[in-house]
Amino acid sequence: MNSLIWPFLLPILTALACSLAFGLPGVGRRVFVALSAAAQFVLALFLAVRTFQGEGVPLVLNIGGWSASLGIVLVLDGLAAIMLCLATFISLICILFSYAETPVRFEQPLRLPLMQLLVAGINLTFLTGDLFNLFVAFEIMLVASYALLTLEANDQDIKEAFPYLAVNIFGSALFLSAAGLAYALFGTLNMAHIAVRAAEMGDAFSVKLVVVLLLVVFGIKAGIFPLYYWLPNSYPILSFSLGAFYSGLLTKVGVYVILRMLCTVFPHTLDGIYGMLSWLAGLTMLLAVLGALSRDFIRGILSFHIVSQIGYMVLAIAFFTPLAIAACIFYVIHHIIVKSSLYLIGGTGLFYNRSDSLARMGGLAAASPWLAALFLLQALSLAGIPPLSGFWGKYLIFATGLEGGRYWLVGAAVLASILTLISMLKIWLAAFWQPAPEGGVSKPTPPIRAMTVLAGVMTCVSLGIGFGAEPVFRLSRVAAESLMNQSQYQEAVFSRLGKEAGQ
Amino acid sequence: MQIETALLVAFLFGIATYLILQKSFVRILFGFVALTNAANLFMLAMSGSPEGRSAPIINDSPLPSVDPLPQALVLTAIVIGFGLTVYLIMLLYRIFLDARTTDSESLFKSEAGDE
Repeated sequence: MNSLIWPFLLPILTALACSLAFGLPGVGRRVFVALSAAAQFVLALFLAVRTFQGEGVPLVLNIGGWSASLGIVLVLDGLAAIMLCLATFISLICILFSYAETPVRFEQPLRLPLMQLLVAGINLTFLTGDLFNLFVAFEIMLVASYALLTLEANDQDIKEAFPYLAVNIFGSALFLSAAGLAYALFGTLNMAHIAVRAAEMGDAFSVKLVVVLLLVVFGIKAGIFPLYYWLPNSYPILSFSLGAFYSGLLTKVGVYVILRMLCTVFPHTLDGIYGMLSWLAGLTMLLAVLGALSRDFIRGILSFHIVSQIGYMVLAIAFFTPLAIAACIFYVIHHIIVKSSLYLIGGTGLFYNRSDSLARMGGLAAASPWLAALFLLQALSLAGIPPLSGFWGKYLIFATGLEGGRYWLVGAAVLASILTLISMLKIWLAAFWQPAPEGGVSKPTPPIRAMTVLAGVMTCVSLGIGFGAEPVFRLSRVAAESLMNQSQYQEAVFSRLGKEAGQ
Repeated sequence: MQIETALLVAFLFGIATYLILQKSFVRILFGFVALTNAANLFMLAMSGSPEGRSAPIINDSPLPSVDPLPQALVLTAIVIGFGLTVYLIMLLYRIFLDARTTDSESLFKSEAGDE
C-alpha cells in the first residue's frame, strides 16, 4: 500500500470531520481545516519529489487489490504530481484568504466542508487511471462546485447558476454515454487497457468518434469556444476567495484531462482532430479577450480572461509536439498561480473600495502601494511581459507554433496578448490610478493586511516561476515526456495489475 | 432486444433535446430527467444482448451471465443523476421564488435591461 490514496482521502475525511465533529463554524474548525490543507500540500510535495526522483515513471496503486478490468487503479505520473501540488497549494491559500474575507460569525457552515470535497474531487481526477472513475471524480467535483456556487449567492445572482448547472449536467450525460461507448468498443475502462486496444484499432472511425465525444465533454469543462458561454457569467457571482479557487483549478482540470486523453490514452495520429482543436483554440482566445474588454467589473474581466488563457493551453496541445506539450504544462503552472493571485488582489481591492465595479473604484495605488505593485506584476505576467512567468509560457508556445509554420494562429495569439494587456490596463487605470471615489478608501485593517500578504505570497511564487523558468521548464519537460510515453504508462499499470492484464 | 433499446435511447435523447430547448423551467427540468435516463439506458445497453444469458448473480443457471460491469456502473450513474435532479429542482424552485417567473427568456432579459 503506497500513499496515493491519501490526496483523495484526506480532504474527504476533513470534510466529514469538519461537518460532523465541529458542526458550526468556529475558530477551532478553521484552524483544523487550515492544518489539514497544509498537510495535503506537504503530502503532494512529497509525492511529487518521489515521482520526479524516478524521472516521471508513474507510481500505481490498485485500490482494494482488485485486478485488471474489475478494479480501479490510481496512477501518479509527473503531470499529475505537478497538478496535485498546485491544487493543494491554491486550496490552502484560498482557505486562508476566505478566513480573512469573512469573519467567523458570518461564515456559512457548509462552506469549508464543500471546499474540501471540491479538492477531493479534483485530486481524484488527477490521480485516476480509469475512465468511469474519472466520471465519478468529475461528479464529486461538479456537485461540490454547484453547491458552493449557490451557497452564498443572493437573490439577484442565483439565476446565473442555472446555465452553469444546465451545461454541466448536459456534459455529464454526454460523458456517461462516451464512457459507455468506450466500454463497448474497447471492452474495458482502464486507461492503459484502452490505450493498448485503441492502438490496435489504429485509425478506425469509431475511435475518433469516442475522442470527439470526450473532447466535447472536457471542452465544456475547460471552456473552449463554442462551449464557454456558461463560464463568464457564472463565476462572477462567487466571492473572491472561491473565485480564485474556481478560476485557478476547475477549467484547468478540463485541460488536464484533454492532455491525459490525447497523450496517454489515444493514439498520436489523430491529425484532423488536432487541426480542429487549434482553430477552436485561436477563436477561444480572441473572442474571450474581446469579452473581457467589454466588461466593467473586476470579476467579470478576470472570468473572461480565464477562457482566453485556456485558448493558449489548448493551442499548445493542438500543436502536439513533445515541446508543445511541455510548453502547455509550463503554461498551466504559470496560469494557475497568476490567475488565482489576480483574483486575490481584486478581492483585496474590493475591501478597500467596498465594490469591484470599476466605476466605483479608485485610489488604490495611493492607499496601498504594495497592492498596486502586486497587481502590476501579475497583470504584466498575464499579458506576457519578460521576464515574468507569462512571457516564458507564451514564448514557448509561439516558438513551437512558428516551428510548425502556423503563422495565423501565432498571430492571433499575439493579438490576444495585446488585448489582454489593454483590458488589464483598464483595471489598473480605473481601480488603482484614478482618484478615490466619493466614499473614500478604507483604512487597512488587519484582515486587509492578511489578504495583501497572501496575494504577495502567490506573487512571489509566480515571480519564482518567471526567474526560475529553466528548472520549472525542465520539470515540465520530464512530465511531458512521461505523459507522451504510452508504453511506459502501460508497463507501470500492467506490472501492478498482474498477468491477467497483459493480453 | 438490442434494436428496441437503441430506439428507446434515441427517442429519449430526442425528447430530452426538444424539452431542454424550451423556455419554461419545468420543461427544461423534465428534459434533464429524460437526458440522464437516456444516458443511463445507453450505458446499460452496453452489457450486450441479455437473450440466452442469466442474471449476473450467484445462481444454478447453466447459462453464461451477462456482463455485470455496465450494470454496476449504471447503479452509480443513477444515484448521481438522481442527486443532480433533486438539486436542479431545488435551484429552479429558488429561482422561481426570487424572480416569480418560470420563463427563462424573461428571466435573463430583465437582467440585460438593468445593465
